[in-house]
Amino acid sequence: MSTPSSNRPTGKRVQLMSTCLCDAYFDDAAKATVEVLEYLGCTIDYPEAQTCCGQPAFNSGDWPASRRVVRHTAKVFTGSAPIIVPSASCAAMLVHGAPLEFEKEADHAEIEKLGNRAWELADFIVNGLGVKTWPGKFSAKIAFHTSCHSRGTKSGESTLALLRSIAGVDLVTFGEGEQCCGFGGTFSVTFPNISKGMGDLKLEHIRAVKPDMLVSGDSSCMMHLAGLAEKEGQPIKTLHFAQILRDALKNGGLLPS
Amino acid sequence: MSVSPIDGFAAGLTTETRDAVYKSTKTTHEKRTKLLFDHFPDANRLREIAGEIKQHVIENLDTYLPEVEKKLRANGVQVHWAPTAEAANQAVLDIMRKRNATKIVKAKTMVSEETELTHFLEKNGVECLETDLGEFIVQIDHDHPSHIVRPIIHKSRRQVAESFEKNGLGKYNDDPNVITQRARVFLRQKYLEADVGLTGANFVVAESGRLVLVTNEGNSRFCLAATRCHIAMVGIEKILPRDRDLALLLNLLARSATAQQLTVYTEFIKGPRKPTQPDGPDEMHVIFVDNGRIDVLASDCRDILRCIRCGACLNVCPVYRQASGHAYRSVYPGPVGAVLSPLLAKEKFPELADLPKASSLCGACQEVCPVNIPIPDLLLRLRNKNKQEHGPSSGTPPMGAWSILASQPFAWKNALALGGTVNYVPRALMPAPLRKWQDVRTLPPWRGGEFRKWLKNRPTSTKAQS
Amino acid sequence: MSDARTDMLGRVNKALAILPERAKLPDWDAELAIARKLVEERDALEVFAERIKLVNGLAMTDIAELATYLKKGGWLSGYCDPALVPLLAPKLGPEFNLSTEFDRTRVDDFAFGITRAAGGIAETGTIILNDTLTSRRLGALTPWVHIAVLPRKLIHRTLTDAVHALGDDPNVIWCTGPSKTADIEGILIEGVHGPGAQIALVIE
Repeated sequence: MSTPSSNRPTGKRVQLMSTCLCDAYFDDAAKATVEVLEYLGCTIDYPEAQTCCGQPAFNSGDWPASRRVVRHTAKVFTGSAPIIVPSASCAAMLVHGAPLEFEKEADHAEIEKLGNRAWELADFIVNGLGVKTWPGKFSAKIAFHTSCHSRGTKSGESTLALLRSIAGVDLVTFGEGEQCCGFGGTFSVTFPNISKGMGDLKLEHIRAVKPDMLVSGDSSCMMHLAGLAEKEGQPIKTLHFAQILRDALKNGGLLPS
Repeated sequence: MSVSPIDGFAAGLTTETRDAVYKSTKTTHEKRTKLLFDHFPDANRLREIAGEIKQHVIENLDTYLPEVEKKLRANGVQVHWAPTAEAANQAVLDIMRKRNATKIVKAKTMVSEETELTHFLEKNGVECLETDLGEFIVQIDHDHPSHIVRPIIHKSRRQVAESFEKNGLGKYNDDPNVITQRARVFLRQKYLEADVGLTGANFVVAESGRLVLVTNEGNSRFCLAATRCHIAMVGIEKILPRDRDLALLLNLLARSATAQQLTVYTEFIKGPRKPTQPDGPDEMHVIFVDNGRIDVLASDCRDILRCIRCGACLNVCPVYRQASGHAYRSVYPGPVGAVLSPLLAKEKFPELADLPKASSLCGACQEVCPVNIPIPDLLLRLRNKNKQEHGPSSGTPPMGAWSILASQPFAWKNALALGGTVNYVPRALMPAPLRKWQDVRTLPPWRGGEFRKWLKNRPTSTKAQS
Repeated sequence: MSDARTDMLGRVNKALAILPERAKLPDWDAELAIARKLVEERDALEVFAERIKLVNGLAMTDIAELATYLKKGGWLSGYCDPALVPLLAPKLGPEFNLSTEFDRTRVDDFAFGITRAAGGIAETGTIILNDTLTSRRLGALTPWVHIAVLPRKLIHRTLTDAVHALGDDPNVIWCTGPSKTADIEGILIEGVHGPGAQIALVIE
């Protein structure tokens, strides 16, 4: 489990890792992240040469391939500013996964330093910047999926605290919330039957509480569940929580148009 | 990428079996969590410390093994060493032959499943009977256990009733009370006729030489009350340093395994019977079994040796719930099995190479483990080991090309720009992962490059650096 | 055989030699392993009686109560530790047949077994048996009903206390309720290989 250290750098000058999934599919989640951070007074550096945290190869067991990507990431995210990541799994990769696969490498210390700058977005807002409640308005019945990579971190509780504090949000809990959605990276295609079984079970629990939308801090989980639901002819609306935070500001007239 | 054996097995599982496994594991897991945190608000701290105690033991086995051997001998126990499964089985047979013994009753011990003791003894003319109800049913059915604590979690009462009828234990009756009574009556005579009782050990305490057995049915008590010779087969990693550490581990074990505060019987065995006690063994043996454990000790997955065989990881694992135990084709299924079974398989590792991959790395197992084993990290290490040692045949999805793409910004940005075109490629020609994804899920619309474009055009304090 | 020992210990040494340092043994606070809310400020016997009931055992303080219980179940003939006969025979009454010899060729003739307990644990509702005080292991195990005669002052408050009192007896058994299994479809069945009824007769 990837418990981040208690002495990560913080402050309003940050770097942003947009993640490969947002790059490819979920641009609005990344946009919302920028808008939310700027609302909080942050100045964001976005290293254009960034690609991916290296997780797909790491999870698959091809550590040399993963290390190549992580080294590139370390090269790109220069300096010592906090690195904000709108994804619990990418943050966990930087904090825990990368140091693990570098345990026998000469540049292990450098990779650990990189990980020590990483913050998942909600964790940063609540525990890095000390913002415990969120303004604005968002009227919806929301089911929140705490992704597995939040285990051992404060991300889940931080996100819930923020969402709960928004005027108009009705947060509903569903059964077996601690059970994995079944994505697991390449697991989703190498163990397709089990992955689908797990996802369908999760969807069953979620549908039982009839939310307006399913929200998470991990786009990968949402991609898997939304994809399953749509293929089965019963689509569900999925959003990254950054989009909720941004839209709450918009609805409250707090964002410049 | 063909479907892995575990995934194929899961797909072929009957609804009856999947429901039985799901219901049982979910109930036990939820009860375990409630009980543990009700009694110990800081339960996670207990797990951490228990983990540190066990890690200390395994990293100091070079001191603890001779120490515990000395103590056992001083207590009147004979100590044997078995590097292999064959040696362990032979040691049991030798003890029996020396006593002209032909009948043995055994309590549940996973290490004896590893060595296939019963099969070996039967081949050598010894009557060897399982006495744990679940294991007894597995034995008469010529089946295999599918859970380390609940051996027949995959069976229905109907199936058990049919087995009993087939084996001359009465006409078909699927009332669990009746089935249990029949087993009670049948087995009591067997205990009383047996020469030797065999058990495992949940713990062996170095300080006192005490073996600790944790059971519910009374079968291990009966093995040790009715026979004159006790043989304990024990993995070398079962040691605890001090008697006082038992207070911590015993509080964790039963709650983790069966959501009980304590199992019905916790036996602390220090040696053969007291001379004033008419019943019980005159002779006691402990066989310390290696069977691959020392290789695990030498590897970077040694933390798995902390395992106290509670089964909590099986009960919470979403993959285990979908596939059930037999999918793992080994003595140890579930998360612990996904690490331990391939390692103990040694040169047969490739046959079980799908086990470490059969996980979404959700970490629920680590969160419930009473000795805090970092199972996801160990699974990842095994995946790396598999790829390093078996390269192309490891079944790992090809990542080399992807990693080059993801370390060349120019290539990456091109891929973002062009990636959407893959939607226009016939499904059969798509890269396998995309094809497999879409067998079961839709893909979201491609938005490659959109975020970066938006950011570049944004007149605010955010700077996009090249 | 000593070859096997040398081989195994040698390989263990080799396996551990690569570790730069060895994990330390933590010094943990005994309070961690106590379910304080169960025993805090409460009388040990009261907690013991409560918790043994939770595991479907029974605590009795009155021999007449035991007599009623056994008569109700039709359990009139059983084994009794000879040392307990003077205490129990008069109070149980003449309907009961107490054998002081346990015959293992006729185990099913003994409906109950009465032996001495070496202690109890309030925190868990546990009866402690051992070789020293149990007249016959089989007498305490094979009959359907087991009655353990337990002096009140031998009840430990906590599991931790009981661990410290393990001593040198070669066969200490903690009995927490009647024998049971849930192997068949998770359904709880009591009375498997051991007793189906577990009683603590607490005396002064």
